[in-house]
Amino acid sequence: MMWLFLRGRRPRQRFKALFTSACLAMLAHGASATQTGAETIVSRTLDNGMKIIVWPDHDIPNVALYNFVRAGGRNEVPGISGLSHFFEHMMFNGTSTLEPGEFDRIMEANGGSNNAYTSADLTVYQDWFPGRALETIFELEADRLANLSFDPKVVESERGVVTSERRSSVDNSNFGVLYEQMRATAYTAHPYHIPVIGWPSDIEAWTIDDLRNYFTTYYAPNNCTMVIVGDVEPDDVFGLADRYFGALAPQDPPPQVRTREPEQVGERRIVIARDVQTPLVGVAYKSPAAADETGPAIDLLMSILADGESSRLHQALIETGIAVSIEPYRHEGFDPGLTWFFMTLPQGADPRTAEQALYSVLASIVEQGVTNKELDRAKRLSNAAFWRGLATINGKAAALGDFEVFHGDYRKLFDAPERYDAIDASAVQAAAASIFDAHRRTVGTVIAPDARTQEVQP
Amino acid sequence: MTGRILIRLLGIGLCAGLYGCAATTLSVDEPPKVAASQPAGAALLVPFEKVVLENGATLMLARKADVPLVALSARLRGGAVTDDPERSGLASLTASLLEKGAAGRSAREFADAAADVGGYIGSAAGRESAQVSAEFLAEDTALMIEMVLDMLIEPRLPEDEFEKLRTRSIESIKAARDGDPRSLMGLYGAAWLFGDHVYGRAAGGRENTLAAITHEDVLAHHRDYYGSDRLVIAVVGDIDTARVRALLESRLASWPRARSALPVVPAKSAVRGRRVLLVDKPDATQSYFWMGNIGVSARHEPRAALDVANTLFGGRFTSMLNTALRIESGLTYGASSRLTKYAEAGSVAISSYTATESTVAAMDLARDTLTRFHTLTPSEKMLDSARNYLRGQHPLGYETARQMAGHLSLLAFYGRDRAYEDGYDAAVAAVDAQAMARVIDTVYPTVDDLVTVVIGNADAIRDELTRYGEVVEMPITQPAFSP
Repeated sequence: MMWLFLRGRRPRQRFKALFTSACLAMLAHGASATQTGAETIVSRTLDNGMKIIVWPDHDIPNVALYNFVRAGGRNEVPGISGLSHFFEHMMFNGTSTLEPGEFDRIMEANGGSNNAYTSADLTVYQDWFPGRALETIFELEADRLANLSFDPKVVESERGVVTSERRSSVDNSNFGVLYEQMRATAYTAHPYHIPVIGWPSDIEAWTIDDLRNYFTTYYAPNNCTMVIVGDVEPDDVFGLADRYFGALAPQDPPPQVRTREPEQVGERRIVIARDVQTPLVGVAYKSPAAADETGPAIDLLMSILADGESSRLHQALIETGIAVSIEPYRHEGFDPGLTWFFMTLPQGADPRTAEQALYSVLASIVEQGVTNKELDRAKRLSNAAFWRGLATINGKAAALGDFEVFHGDYRKLFDAPERYDAIDASAVQAAAASIFDAHRRTVGTVIAPDARTQEVQP
Repeated sequence: MTGRILIRLLGIGLCAGLYGCAATTLSVDEPPKVAASQPAGAALLVPFEKVVLENGATLMLARKADVPLVALSARLRGGAVTDDPERSGLASLTASLLEKGAAGRSAREFADAAADVGGYIGSAAGRESAQVSAEFLAEDTALMIEMVLDMLIEPRLPEDEFEKLRTRSIESIKAARDGDPRSLMGLYGAAWLFGDHVYGRAAGGRENTLAAITHEDVLAHHRDYYGSDRLVIAVVGDIDTARVRALLESRLASWPRARSALPVVPAKSAVRGRRVLLVDKPDATQSYFWMGNIGVSARHEPRAALDVANTLFGGRFTSMLNTALRIESGLTYGASSRLTKYAEAGSVAISSYTATESTVAAMDLARDTLTRFHTLTPSEKMLDSARNYLRGQHPLGYETARQMAGHLSLLAFYGRDRAYEDGYDAAVAAVDAQAMARVIDTVYPTVDDLVTVVIGNADAIRDELTRYGEVVEMPITQPAFSP
């Protein structure tokens, strides 16, 4: 989860797993809304613009609540890098009616737990609680949206918490520092170049006024989408929503992110010298935004490349001993993102060898395409992943929210089959050709300092 | 990123109790009827069927058809407790090799066959068992069960795959040493606490013990320690239980029992006094600390009282530890306490991390919090909060076929009946201050008896750590988890 920063514990589930594969289920099995129970979903937009989506599911007596706030790293500027994430922490730290810490104490005393994460695009708040605690949770959620306060002492203490989080997930994690530095290199203009956790000097320096401005700008009901899945009835939820969220005042929509990243016209390379036994390599290609119509073809392409031991990259890099591990990751956000490959290499390995092996696999798809057998396999794998996601209230909430926020309508989760059904081997090849362009990639390595010295010597 | 590697390194296995049933038995275990909207405390475990074959293999079968998926969880008693100390990681390597070809399929054919139907099969060994898990679409049940049984009974264990896997395992440990120290604290903690005891060995082995393992060792391990009497296999999902039972019985009934007896694991008693292992990671800007002692076994009761106690101490966000080290002081991103249970007593430990310069402040605060915990007189409100939290969160572990299969295989593994699961909610509700005080007193060490591991920049913290006991030092790159 290196691309997200969480408030606390590990996430219950990789929220993206369902997103990439949601539609495939339908095409492979002709699953209908009836089989998924989708016909029971009800959504409503309150007068103040807050959208609420409810999916009743009585399998266990619990509820998953996700509040998607359209604010993340891309909304930041130099000086306040990391503020979205810091704000996420502050949302748990007191209001004019509740002392710092009371939010968590009340939630846990009522059988609930929570977490939150911030990405480059969103800040998402998550609660998991028994259905009978619904009203208490609404009271808590509404209170922090209406009455958040900033106690200077708490702000200072939380600065320390976030600094520790940064030390753990970036400064003392080689993958963390590689990811941060490569993003800062791949994006020169667009704010995706800002690390979500923030630069250390900004973490130390942002002010209470920065927090107040941020709250007013982004934490308006019309900038939030709430998804509730579990042991509830929609009528009860909407009744409580009117009572608790209805009074929140809407705000002018936040300013749009204007900057677009200029076309990259040549490979960019960075080297990070760290005291490592096993070198790391990251390769990141510019790729489309979440809502781009080529998304399904890219999903299938990535599955063929890296999903499981049969995948092309596993066979070419792991089974040959060139790499110890290879992990793909595609950033699908509001704006064009990056498609990543991270490799851990054996001690003493030459990063260039691994790079070349990766490039030749990518080139073989660009040049020769994929087989129908591979394409069918990718569809089946995604199909199973889809059902795994729908097996939990948490997976359902994450998927509905992702489709609503990034694709404009949660129902696209259920009616995208046609889009996926249309994908054939040539569409996958075309997706590969459009992404795997050497001039649009950024390459980073983490190697021991002495290895670096050798590399730069004539 | 290195999640899968680390799970194997850390040893996910659980194990325990004896069981012995020579005759074939069959029981159908029915929970109370579940209403559409459940009151708190309703039975969470699915109705299941338990079958014990004459050769000892135990089958657990349940239908759960809310989505068209099936999950399988197999546990084979054994795991790392069978490892020779000079060859630790043997059980782990053997288990991981099971999926590298079996019966009529080569490694590649095996992986392709699962991927072609969108299925997942994985194998690994932990402290006390080897485990195979699988998840697949309902229509592929017969194929996937055949493949899992092939893995257990007729694995090819090919030499070339063994060489590759061993090399990759060694490199993965080196990569873990380069990586986030949070993933390593438990390994060093167990090694430093348990010493030569079998629970001190890393289930996934370490660089030089893995290097000492030969292909013949793997073949011998499978020959000696795999067999019907060691196996519990649970299948849950959109299945016809009679059909799945027939599929399993047809293959398993003729599988012989394992040849070698499992080693007897002695219980280790609590460590007296204090000692510190300092693991030097010169470029670290944080210190990662683990402080613990011998805890309890999987048989320990009252389980609910201990769960309530640990929830309050270090098991949730508002716990005493996280409140002191994170919420009130901002010294860390997280502080927690954890009990690791095996057939015999495992560990009870606090862990956290903080900036190098605040190492002593954070460790002192953690120790003070432990002392405060020992003298805690919980209010009814505090107890109520912990009980509600446990009862409110518990059902989230009983949602999917995969979770259910895991619970069922564990239940049979420990020789427990479903009352163990069904009675949990009521047991938590009944925990009172006296019961909690007893477990605090008997289970948690005091600050005078703490075994400590710190991973960090030794030059910066070496001297001040002496206040926590005699300090022994090792570099993080040393191919071991204790000196």
